[in-house]
Amino acid sequence: MNQEFLQNLKNQAISTIIETKSEDELEQLRIEYLGRNGKITQLIKDIPTLSEEKRKIMGGLINENKKIIEDALVSQKNNLQRQSGNQEKDWFDFTVPGIKPKIGNLHLISLTIKEISEIFARIGFNKVSYPEIEWDWYSFEGLNMPQNHPARDEWETFFIENLSHPKYGNAVLTPHTSSGQLREMEKVKKTLSTDRQVPIRMLNIGKCYRRQIDASHAPMFYQFEGLVIDRDINITHLKGTLDYFVKQYFGLKRETRIRPFHFQFTEPSFEIDVTCIVCGGKGCSVCKEGWMELGGAGMVHPNVLENGGIDSLKYRGFAFGWGVERLLMMKYKIDDIRLLFNNDLRFLKQF
Amino acid sequence: MNIFILDSWLKEYLKTKASAKEIAKYLSLCSQSVEKLTQINNDWLYEIEITTNRPDCFSVYGIARELSAILPRFDIPAKLQPLDINQQLTTINKNSLPLEVKINKSSLCPRFTALIFDNIVIKPSPKIVQERLEKSGIRAINNVVDISNYLMLELGQPMHTFDYDKIKGNKMILRESQGGEKITTLDEQTRTLPDGTMIIEDGKGRIIDLCGIMGGNNSQVDEKTKRVLLFIQTYDPVKIRQTCQKLAFRTDASSRFEKGVDPEGVLTAMKRAVKMFEKNCEAKIASQLIDIYPKPPKEKKVNLNFELIEKVIGIEIPKQQVLTILQSLGFSLITNHQLLITVTVPHWRYNDISIPHDLIEEIARIYGYEHLPNNLPPIANINQKNNYFKWEIKVKEALKFWGFIETISYSMLSGQMLKIIGVNPEDCIKIANPLSEEWVYMRQSLIPSLLEIAAKNKKEKIKIFEMANIYLNMGKNQLPQEILTLSILISGENFATIKGIFESIMEELGIKEYKLNTYTLQKTFYGKIFHPSHRAEINIQKKSLGIIGEIKKEINRQFGIEEKIFIFDIDFSELVKIAKEDKKYQPLPKYPPIIEDLSFTIPPKIYIEEIIKIIKSTSLTIKSVDLTDVYQDNKTFRITYQDRQKTLTDKEVQKIRKNVIDSLQEKLKVKLKDKKD
Repeated sequence: MNQEFLQNLKNQAISTIIETKSEDELEQLRIEYLGRNGKITQLIKDIPTLSEEKRKIMGGLINENKKIIEDALVSQKNNLQRQSGNQEKDWFDFTVPGIKPKIGNLHLISLTIKEISEIFARIGFNKVSYPEIEWDWYSFEGLNMPQNHPARDEWETFFIENLSHPKYGNAVLTPHTSSGQLREMEKVKKTLSTDRQVPIRMLNIGKCYRRQIDASHAPMFYQFEGLVIDRDINITHLKGTLDYFVKQYFGLKRETRIRPFHFQFTEPSFEIDVTCIVCGGKGCSVCKEGWMELGGAGMVHPNVLENGGIDSLKYRGFAFGWGVERLLMMKYKIDDIRLLFNNDLRFLKQF
Repeated sequence: MNIFILDSWLKEYLKTKASAKEIAKYLSLCSQSVEKLTQINNDWLYEIEITTNRPDCFSVYGIARELSAILPRFDIPAKLQPLDINQQLTTINKNSLPLEVKINKSSLCPRFTALIFDNIVIKPSPKIVQERLEKSGIRAINNVVDISNYLMLELGQPMHTFDYDKIKGNKMILRESQGGEKITTLDEQTRTLPDGTMIIEDGKGRIIDLCGIMGGNNSQVDEKTKRVLLFIQTYDPVKIRQTCQKLAFRTDASSRFEKGVDPEGVLTAMKRAVKMFEKNCEAKIASQLIDIYPKPPKEKKVNLNFELIEKVIGIEIPKQQVLTILQSLGFSLITNHQLLITVTVPHWRYNDISIPHDLIEEIARIYGYEHLPNNLPPIANINQKNNYFKWEIKVKEALKFWGFIETISYSMLSGQMLKIIGVNPEDCIKIANPLSEEWVYMRQSLIPSLLEIAAKNKKEKIKIFEMANIYLNMGKNQLPQEILTLSILISGENFATIKGIFESIMEELGIKEYKLNTYTLQKTFYGKIFHPSHRAEINIQKKSLGIIGEIKKEINRQFGIEEKIFIFDIDFSELVKIAKEDKKYQPLPKYPPIIEDLSFTIPPKIYIEEIIKIIKSTSLTIKSVDLTDVYQDNKTFRITYQDRQKTLTDKEVQKIRKNVIDSLQEKLKVKLKDKKD
């Protein structure tokens, strides 16, 4: 008799106990190991025959293993009883609180970005991201907004200290995802030979920054920018795409309308409204005569296409750039954008 | 910018039966957006947002002109009424009051007009003028000043009135300021002028006007005024805008000037003003009209190809309808070929309309966007693939189901924060015009933000993460590098917990080739904030990509955190490059495993990883080794033996076990735990 032998005996016992399918089988095993002539019982009987030194060691070990086997028998017996039927008459409290796995939360902005991306992916848009710290050329000048243009006032811009490029101007924190338009055009041009088509179906989602803070403006926020460029793109495609998106995101009952607006980088330019999600379009205190403003859009200005290296005579496109927070605040009726960036766990745990 | 327009005033110039509600709706659909419509007694007030490209709409008359083109499209007749401008401006030949005008640079002021009135009786304006001003949001002052405000609202042309007797030397010099000159404006603020500000100086060198923005109080009209100089100009919009920005000061006048005022409208305004001066102030014209207008704009022509209209709008609009729309907006047709027309641009749209696309917008908006169908763009083969987002979502969702809360914090840090974490501000990208001290430097790590959040929510044990860009300064002429980074924080747990999260993420990303090493640098950012030994560097393909470890107590104290904080921080953009989805199928084993626990007593300073490696390398039949229990220097490992070919016998296992025990003993002096102890 030695330790190895004991270890193997125990292993063998445990693995066969776990395999049993009935209480009878289990009883057979109990007799085999712990019965009057069982294998363990036999070992115990043999203890007095050992040398004194060995007796000490083996005595303890045998009892320890006996206990393990007994426990295994009991627990398997319980398992089998639980599994077998014939318990219809048992009273059972199904109202016991469930034991839930501890699950965390994704940020509402992440959830929204995912939803937006999926909606646009279904109609062939490809998600990309471009620099948050960007040259003036990509954020303004190349988008048809020269220095000192009054249109720049709409974008309360943060500038980077001591950083500029001889060709592209000052570095700014990009105030809109539209800066990705020229980046995307350049990227696509690089991957294709000149005589081929340059279809673009871009969805650029990223952080933007403006020097504003109040309940509806945070200095950092997210936008998503769509850009479609192809040979035969026209206003009806812009209307159709945005109507499709609004119905997917807010619900099929929502109606959209487009109104003239002005952006330097699109011509014509629009703003898109959706029927108010509070009053359904009748008119109420939170909307404008039944409509809520969603964001801007337009047909890409020929100058912008040319700045991106795309032949504006052959190609046309449309673009839109909307605020992620604006959408989700409308949908979830959140009245202060700053809640989204305060990281109060009591808020974050709600989503 | 928003303007306020009274329905009754509007209808003085627009003969129509359209209701205020109809006007608000159709104006929004086809032109400028009516933000709000409010009833005031038996009148209506429109609040209208005017886009920067349409300074011609900054007035009652401009809106009436738009509506005269729009309403008929909705079958509502509407006719624009002509302005009453049958006025002689140069009636005086003798005894004309003198005024000498000098303009230093003609580009500053494309058109300069002035006219002097005598016999003025200062009194309140007629009731209708007062009421219209006040309902439109401007305080009525007196009959003279009110005329300039009234006509600014009616015609969009700002103007200014001086007390003629306060202009010394009957002289006006329009020039750019220099060397910190000062003016006290009508609001009694003394302003130091940035160099290059347009001002007017009188014959005695006094500054009497901050051009296009506000007059000086040294020349203002008061109750004793007898003679008035009326002053109507257009200015270089860029100059006005720059001055307003530098002074952080805007007025109703400057908002119009900086968007561009039509020089062709100046005389119309002058004629309307004369009429009002005569009627409201009993004034008489007392000078020749001064009209300095060196370069009237040339007629502007734009060509339009009918094929392009259809290409941009997406439907065919009959040619006659196109022509009707353009003419209703004031364009005149010069040439008319089958597919190509040329039109001249009306002077009030001079700066806005330049290319065919501008005309197409005019046609489309009046035709009505709601009449266009909704189509989806054709699917295109875009030859691009972006895996980033897929992995991003996968990891974020895994973390969520493992109990983590995602945070999103601002990308900017304060100078104070840099000090706490020992980062040199010189190394960071800095915002030149920050909004507050809190947000000045672009963060180089997400860790300080996570620590702040932990401190803020310290009532609970937390598990949070953030995935966002960090910004590394790349020096002159280069945009900073933006690196998508994943940072995870656990409070009140232990190293193994955070390491397990790291290992599970690697599994999710299908990355097997990673290695942890001791991180010995003390002067780096990581070195400064992590516990000097409770940390490990993450290396993948020989690149150092991040760290796992415990935050130093001193740092925790600075944030006011008591719990132990463990962080895992990694360059996620590099992970995405090597993440793999391919998994390999292995046939299921046919023979049962044998599982057993072995406890060892381990001497100090031996890495568990080494022990596990030795056990595993003992035999190919050892399928896995897991640490199941740790008690002081005793550690229990669960070993699974399995052979693909046969059921293992006790003897076979016994042999392998012996080898395991022997080689641990031999290589590391690790002993099988003696039951006697």
